[in-house]
Order: sequence, then C-alpha cells, then structure tokens
Amino acid sequence: MWTKIKWGLRILAVLVVGLFLHYTLPQRDIVRIVDTGNRITQIGENWIFYSIEDTGTGAETNTTRDIRFIDAVYPDGSSVMVYRNEDTGWFWPPYFKWDSSTLQAEAANLRRDATQWVAITHYGWRIPLVSAFPNAVSISPVEGPDVTLIPWVNIVLLTLLAFMAFMARRMWLQFRERMVDPAMVDAGETFDAMGARAEAARKEARGFFGRSRAWVNTWRAKK
Amino acid sequence: MGWLRLAFVMYVALTIIYFLTSIYSRSVRREKLEKAWDTDPLKEGVQSAERTVFIDVGMQAYEKGLKKRLLWLIYVVPTVGFLTTIYFVNWH
Repeated sequence: MWTKIKWGLRILAVLVVGLFLHYTLPQRDIVRIVDTGNRITQIGENWIFYSIEDTGTGAETNTTRDIRFIDAVYPDGSSVMVYRNEDTGWFWPPYFKWDSSTLQAEAANLRRDATQWVAITHYGWRIPLVSAFPNAVSISPVEGPDVTLIPWVNIVLLTLLAFMAFMARRMWLQFRERMVDPAMVDAGETFDAMGARAEAARKEARGFFGRSRAWVNTWRAKK
Repeated sequence: MGWLRLAFVMYVALTIIYFLTSIYSRSVRREKLEKAWDTDPLKEGVQSAERTVFIDVGMQAYEKGLKKRLLWLIYVVPTVGFLTTIYFVNWH
C-alpha cells in the first residue's frame, strides 16, 4: 500500500516536471506562414497561458488585450498552427522577448513569398478548449521542409538540469554521510548509555525492598 | 523595475546555492584528506595530532586553490546565460 502511494507520487512528480519542461523549453516547427495579424483577445481564466500583466506588449487591461498572431501551415499542407506573438517580460518563462513588433514584421515579410519555409521557435501549447496558443519567440528562414535542426539549446539546458539534479543528490548523500549518520551514531550511543544506566538503577532499586520481598516470597506456599 | 525583481530573486537563490555547494565541496575535500591519511601505510601509528595538522594544511591549500574559485561559476554561468538569451532573442 505504502509502496504504491510512493510510486504514485514519484510518477506524478516526473509527469509534472516533464509537462512543465515541455511547456517551457523552446521547440522549433518548420512551417510556412500564411497569415499575420492582431486581434482583441479576451483573457480570463486562461490567463496562465498568456504573458503576465506588466510585460508591455501593448495597451493592457485585465480582461482584453490586443495580441498579434501568426498563422502557419505544416509541411503536410493541411494541419495548421496558430502562434501568438507576445513579449514575455522579466519573469517566467525567461525568454526576455521584447521584440514582438519586430518579429511580427519579419513574419509578415516571410509570408509574402508563398514558397518560403521557416523555422518558428516557440514555447507553449495549443489548447483550443482554453484558447491557449504557443508563443513564437523567433523566426528564421530555412531551405525546405525536410531540413534537420539540432535542438542545441534544449540539449544544453537538459544536460545542465540533469547535472544539477545529480549534484543535489550527491550533496544530500554527502550531508547524510558526514552529518546525519555520525549524529545518529552519537544518539544511539547516548540511548544505549541511558539504557545501561536504567538497568543499573533498576538493579540498585531492587536492593533492600527487592531482597525483602524475595525473602517474604520464600515463606509462601509453593504452587 | 521587472529586471530588478528578477535579479534580486535570482541572486538570492544563487547565493543559497553557492553556500550549499561550497559546504559540500569543502566536505568532500576534507573526506578525501582523511581517507588519504587513513589509507597511507606510512602514517600507521602516527599520533592523531599530526593527522589534524595534515588535514588543516590540506584544507588551507583548498581554500586558496582553483577549485574553490571555480565555485564563482555558480554566479557567472546564469548571468552570462541570461545576457546571451536577451541578445539572441531580441537582436539576432
């Protein structure tokens, strides 16, 4: 039972971390841009999928925002993706993107050539149910739909994360070996010493009364 | 003001990481010195005061060494990383 709960929690933790990284880390899609534009967008309960308030994308209020969008089509010619193009500001995710106007101009420029393939770096998910769109971070022209892109940024970041997790574990084990275990041994010795003292005290206490009772007992009828 | 908040939070977190890592690194070095002494057959039977001196000298060398200085990378790497990100996202 306890093992099942432990494994359940572990799987949940891995899942949460995995989803978080999948949302946050950059990915590149190879697409053609078919449309660019902006529209007033209602932001309500789905605020978490948009930039936070103080990023300075444009005139902002609590509930509506004018957001730039980039529509694109994948190499299969039928599946499409809609990217939002918002500044990310200073906090999370740490892309520090303030050039959404420039990016929109680049997108519009690349859109004019209908045969131009581009790689759109983005983070986030498209979730139609809550009107969530991935945020485009940068656009660069590529030679064709079959070009291979090596995700160096993700390789470096994931390696760093793995290294940090490894070091955290090493640090914890070192701390346990050098600090906790000796303390436990000490505590164990103290505990043993206490036990020995208690034993001695018990023997001591048995002294007069114990001996007397034992003597009285010798007068009792044997059963 | 956003960047001040980020820098503040980031450097506070990095300072905590720096101290934890330096404690860890020191502890690893001390353990290594202890083991070097304990497994050296020449040091068999030498009194423990000399062992303490041996470890103290080794730790002083560590405090001045390259490895201790490399710990500053904990501050340098994220700072450079953030500046590079800013450059490549906005001006590249």
